[in-house]
Amino acid sequence: MKTTFAFAAVVAVVAVSAPAKAENMVFSSWGGTTQDAQKAAWASPFTEKTGITVVQDGPTDYGKLKAMVEAGQVAWDVVDVEGDYAAQAGKSGQLEKLDFSVIDKSKLDPRFVTDYSVGSFYYSFVIGCNADAVKACPKTWADLFDTTKFPGKRTFYKWSAPGVIEAALLADGVPADKLYPLDLDRAFKKLDTIKSDIIWWSGGAQSQQLLASAEAPFGSVWNGRMTALAATGIKVETSWEQNITAADALVVPKGSPNVEAAMKFIALATSAEPQAALAKATGYAPINIDSAKLMDPETAKTLPDQQTASQVNADMNYWAQNRDAIGEKWYAWQAK
Amino acid sequence: MSTYSDASGIIAPLPKARRKTGFGAVVPAFAFVGIFFIVPVAILLLRSVLEPVPGLGNYAQLIGSSTYLKIFANTFIVSGLVTVISLLIGFPVAWALAIMPGRLTSVIFAILLLSMWTNLLARTYAWMVLLQRTGLINKMLIGMGLIDKPLALVNNLTGVTIGMTYIMLPFIILPLYGVIKKIDPSILQAAALCGANRWQCLTRVLLPLATPGMAAGALMVFVMSLGYFVTPSLLGGTANMMLAELIAQFVQSLVNWGMGGAAALVLLVVTLSLYAVQLRFFGNQNPGGR
Repeated sequence: MKTTFAFAAVVAVVAVSAPAKAENMVFSSWGGTTQDAQKAAWASPFTEKTGITVVQDGPTDYGKLKAMVEAGQVAWDVVDVEGDYAAQAGKSGQLEKLDFSVIDKSKLDPRFVTDYSVGSFYYSFVIGCNADAVKACPKTWADLFDTTKFPGKRTFYKWSAPGVIEAALLADGVPADKLYPLDLDRAFKKLDTIKSDIIWWSGGAQSQQLLASAEAPFGSVWNGRMTALAATGIKVETSWEQNITAADALVVPKGSPNVEAAMKFIALATSAEPQAALAKATGYAPINIDSAKLMDPETAKTLPDQQTASQVNADMNYWAQNRDAIGEKWYAWQAK
Repeated sequence: MSTYSDASGIIAPLPKARRKTGFGAVVPAFAFVGIFFIVPVAILLLRSVLEPVPGLGNYAQLIGSSTYLKIFANTFIVSGLVTVISLLIGFPVAWALAIMPGRLTSVIFAILLLSMWTNLLARTYAWMVLLQRTGLINKMLIGMGLIDKPLALVNNLTGVTIGMTYIMLPFIILPLYGVIKKIDPSILQAAALCGANRWQCLTRVLLPLATPGMAAGALMVFVMSLGYFVTPSLLGGTANMMLAELIAQFVQSLVNWGMGGAAALVLLVVTLSLYAVQLRFFGNQNPGGR
């Protein structure tokens, strides 16, 4: 009996003291080259500075996140999610409020800051093309939807997220400042015209593979994937005409056991230098306005934040509010 | 305390002891099924009738939407196709394995098992590379002058069927092999001696004897196909989406567990019903024909 009590006491002490120590925390992201870059640019300097180990996990999965929060068994302390999801999850009470006494938001692009999230990096949907495989590359969204001038397969993002619907509407002649609220019927009607020519990509690596193999020689892809493709020596062309921006966001799930460490991690990840380092590695833009100064002009030139001439910003708040409704229609249309 | 000299001393307590250990052995199995199957299914059922609003709304939506009905139909069509093609390819292979010399058999078994043990994702991506329009198969066919335009072999029903059939083949070959191997060759000899030609030997002797194996293998392939996710998701297009992918969308992307749960339960009920049907018709036959 005595030993049982002693054992229980030890367990209790360990259980109580464990969360307070916070020697490590868990960061979840989307895997692949982007998460590798996040690890190098954010996690390594963070560990050096604070002594807190950052365990990498992923891929991010909203169903899993919800399950963790509901069960009160949160294994992720900081999660890289899509901007519209962050806005929605914040409202529905699944996220911790961010501590802006730790995170300095004065230097962050205000487009990507909410009570529950700050930008992680921002990217653009651009028109990518394998110039070796075709006679001419499409330059505009209208070109990409024109199967007479540009015959062949084209690739688009498979999931319901900002990007494709906007592209369809822009191709159909909707002015950029009149995109929202999204005219879904019009967008689907436009998408119907090329539906049989679409090959969907569900992850960044797949979009690269489709372009590189010329299975789909052009399409709408994340700009960073074009940077990576160009680096492999394939002759690619990227059109920034009306590039559509969206951002990933960093959030802390409600009930995270290491909230304090999580806030410190986000503070470091969004500070100027780590943001610049990530941008350099991925081709995605920093959300810290001081980062650009820290990069060489050649690199900075290729980032989405320099392509503002005809840039279109996807409205994350609109998406957050209508995420479910759009998603249902989107998948129903796809399966038709 | 002698164990074998006193017969009554051994025989009498034995049944009691056996009953006891028998029951004890079943408890962990029940606990396992309870914790890992019944409880989660019950939770899923609850969520499907409670979220987002209590009631049968999710089920009504599933059955009422032509899109979801099409996904159900797709799931059955693809699973059926895969099952039939697997049987057509698997039966001759299993038959050949059963009559081959032992050495060759083990080589072919090694190939079968190695392909089963190779990472599923890697195998699926390999098919993607082989089947695409700029892929090996199309290039070869064009090079041989058989076609002049690449065939659409992937991102459609063809791609899913090829990829899934390949992955399912071992699951039909192995049970069939087990059954065919146990068929006494002298029965076929006897049939031939009695005047049956090769076709009659096959259709009137071999196939009926192998039926339990075919039924078991076909059911396994069909049921596994119903819930298949990775291969249809990667090799198929959105127009031939299957149920598992719909469930993943509900759970991962739309975070709508009510609908996801409802769809998952429909799939489960269909699967269990099929199993019940199989038990009803073939359950009393021991695969192996003994």
